[in-house]
Amino acid sequence: MFKRIRLRFRDMKTISQLIAGADEQANISGEEKPGAEHFVLSALNLEDGSAKRVFERVGADSNKFREAIKAQYNEALSSVGIDAGAIETAPDPIEPKNGFHNSKPSGQELMKSLYTLKQEDKDRPLLGAHVVAVVAKMQHGVAARAFKVMGVDSEQLAKAVKEELESTRYH
Amino acid sequence: MSDMKSLPLPENPEEALAAVVSLRHMAEQLERKAVKEAIARGWSWSQVAEALGVTKQAAHKRHAHSIQRKKARK
Repeated sequence: MFKRIRLRFRDMKTISQLIAGADEQANISGEEKPGAEHFVLSALNLEDGSAKRVFERVGADSNKFREAIKAQYNEALSSVGIDAGAIETAPDPIEPKNGFHNSKPSGQELMKSLYTLKQEDKDRPLLGAHVVAVVAKMQHGVAARAFKVMGVDSEQLAKAVKEELESTRYH
Repeated sequence: MSDMKSLPLPENPEEALAAVVSLRHMAEQLERKAVKEAIARGWSWSQVAEALGVTKQAAHKRHAHSIQRKKARK
């Protein structure tokens, strides 16, 4: 029982860090609200390091995820004949707004799915790998396309997350 | 940039919707920069709103906090 209570407190702290990190990543990218892709960037910065290890397991460089987000926007613009490079300017970082956190719908869905996933995995603390697990199930959207740009498919990711969570580290 | 008549439209919905999202993203970034520049050049919020086709309140709510904080730092 005490272990569960300790895990709960730890999870609350992790959620707070995850959300604050996602907000920061969105603002750095010149966006007001974080989407699922910003939650992945935030998860990569969590202390547990599990999200980074998932990337390593699939042979992907976690430092390149931000570039992959940008690349998927550019690719999509190219498909309608727009050369993003010709008109591109670096995004202006946004000053953080005080007050209630608000996410884009993809961010909201991620948090809901994270909650459900965590309910099924009560014996482990909330980890960055759990965030990647949720995104691995997203078939569409910016985060999914960013992984595709990196040559990582959802099955590979899901397998890597499973291996990471089952490693002895978290028991 | 191609004109709308000759704009190649992706055939599959995944690509087309990805293009919509990217266009939206690009438009938001451009809007932010353009508003910031307009205010820096002395445009009023009414003028910005009129140019954007939104209410003054909407323009201010969306952009003011970021511009005002940068001004305060100076």
